[in-house]
Amino acid sequence: MTTSTTPTTTALGPATARRRTPHVGTAPGRPRAESRTKITLYVLGGVLATLVFLVPLVWSVLRSFQPNDAIVATTPSWSALTQFTTENFRALFTGDADIVRAVGNSLVVAVGTAVLTAVLATLAGYGFGRFGFRGRNTLFGLIVVTMMVPFQAIITPLYLQMNAMGLTDSRLGLVLFYSTVNLPFGVFVMRNAFESIPTEIEDAAHVDGAGTMRTLVSVLRPLLLPGMATSALYAFLAAWTEFLGALTFLTDDRLYTLPLSLVNLQAGAYGAVNFGYLVAGAVVAMVPCVVLYVALQRFYVAGLASGAVKG
Amino acid sequence: MSAPGRAPVTAPTDAPVVTRSTGSGHDLTHPPRTGLLLTLPALAFVAVFVLVPLLFAVYMSFTNWPLIGSYEFIGFDNYAAIASDPVFWKSVGYTVLYTAIVTVPILVLGYVLAVVVRSNRRGSTLFRTVFFLPYVIGLTTLSFLMVLEAQPGSGAVNIVLKALGITDGTSAWLADGPLATGLICVMIVWAVSGLTMVLLMGGMQGISRDVYESAEIDGATWWQRERSITIPMLRPTIAMSLVISVIGSLLAFTQFYVLTRGGPSTDTQTVVMYVYQRGFVQLQLGAASALSIVLVVVIGLVTAVQFRLLREKD
Repeated sequence: MTTSTTPTTTALGPATARRRTPHVGTAPGRPRAESRTKITLYVLGGVLATLVFLVPLVWSVLRSFQPNDAIVATTPSWSALTQFTTENFRALFTGDADIVRAVGNSLVVAVGTAVLTAVLATLAGYGFGRFGFRGRNTLFGLIVVTMMVPFQAIITPLYLQMNAMGLTDSRLGLVLFYSTVNLPFGVFVMRNAFESIPTEIEDAAHVDGAGTMRTLVSVLRPLLLPGMATSALYAFLAAWTEFLGALTFLTDDRLYTLPLSLVNLQAGAYGAVNFGYLVAGAVVAMVPCVVLYVALQRFYVAGLASGAVKG
Repeated sequence: MSAPGRAPVTAPTDAPVVTRSTGSGHDLTHPPRTGLLLTLPALAFVAVFVLVPLLFAVYMSFTNWPLIGSYEFIGFDNYAAIASDPVFWKSVGYTVLYTAIVTVPILVLGYVLAVVVRSNRRGSTLFRTVFFLPYVIGLTTLSFLMVLEAQPGSGAVNIVLKALGITDGTSAWLADGPLATGLICVMIVWAVSGLTMVLLMGGMQGISRDVYESAEIDGATWWQRERSITIPMLRPTIAMSLVISVIGSLLAFTQFYVLTRGGPSTDTQTVVMYVYQRGFVQLQLGAASALSIVLVVVIGLVTAVQFRLLREKD
């Protein structure tokens, strides 16, 4: 197969060359200048947009290393950016503001939610994706429909119910609640994951005498890990940043998750309002999201592809 | 979670579940009862934390439920009170205004970003990562960061506007209804367009290249191709991302709670804030439940529109 790529596309590497798969009659008719304009536009637009999205975030990180005085200075100067200090973080993690506990609460809740969501979604995905039982489509439909009941709308009765069950002011309560919110999406992803595995694999395991759970844990698990990672990642990020539910279900500030402890920082609950602490706290909340997303991006995008774009 | 959707972004599929030989019940590897058992835990969670509260809300909405103490049935009084409650209608008006302002910019910016990242050109993965970053960080954290950048004099918003000579840099963005609304709208468009981008990009990549190539042979310009191929073929995806973004906006809470607390007065109070206010500040749980039901119905209607738009594809 002879590929007749123009010099411009070759310069952009194999990815571009592949995109322009040879198509009889396309290359000669297309002026080279047009694709160069397109590429210039692409680079310019991309870089400009990158600045728009990245600069505010980088700015906030820089801010978190400035003393409060510099942050609130009404005559800002460039020299403020050179007053590098880790004081905000030190105060947060050792001083009165003590968000260590909040970080710990958030971690426990987010990890718990991620694990529980992934486990429940995997079991349900197995059931819906592989087994034929009466009412399967109805029950699956039920789960999909609950996705459309926004928890924001039923927060009042939910509070009373959680309270009656002893699940308010409880990290376990938050885990159960967040898992439910993330469950429909996870079930959807996991059902698709099971449907993409050939039945022969299970049949072989069955012939070898493995039961349902044994097959799931020993034989199918490696094939399911990407889907489980997707469900867990979404659940973790959602739980880590969730606000309204935590605000409603927690009143004891020793149980506060990180977003709620930021309210305390904002209100100056630990003395005078200190914007240095607030921005540092927000950066602490931001970092795990960025790290997890960048590291596990393929699962994130896979999730959107398998969940959403399937119309 | 309360803004253009951290909510799970999944298209409700009305395509029937693929029926395999497993459906017959003769499949020894997949006994039906085991299948039902496997789904039970998930169903139990959904029943306990969604369906029961929903039914409970309907029940409560016909009572004058206080936080503590006994209650009595008051029929449709809560609903009647909502209909004539000026604060409720103000919050409805404000939420609709907010939704109306942000929806189109989110779609347009998301579309433009998707056009940038959809090709497999060098750097498109990096661009995609960066454009999606604010959405991943989430509105809660971004709202707290905005608190200090909106301060008169010292906030970045004022520094930039002053440097550009647009304002004198002393605007108190959060103390003024229209200013706060404008600021929050800009922040939201910036923060959530990445989601629309990813959704549309997925749809765009699903369109066969052949269609474009034949259009190119026919000499169609870029915009002609976009208008006559991409947009029509993308219609279901566009509809879905619109609905996700509209529902998210209608349920907005966090960014307003953190930045304005609904103020000044109730000028920037959204519907969900009002429900929260009635339920957990004024402790009128019956009234709050009635509001909840109204909200569920409205969101249900928006979703029904989504179903229709998606179905028209077939």
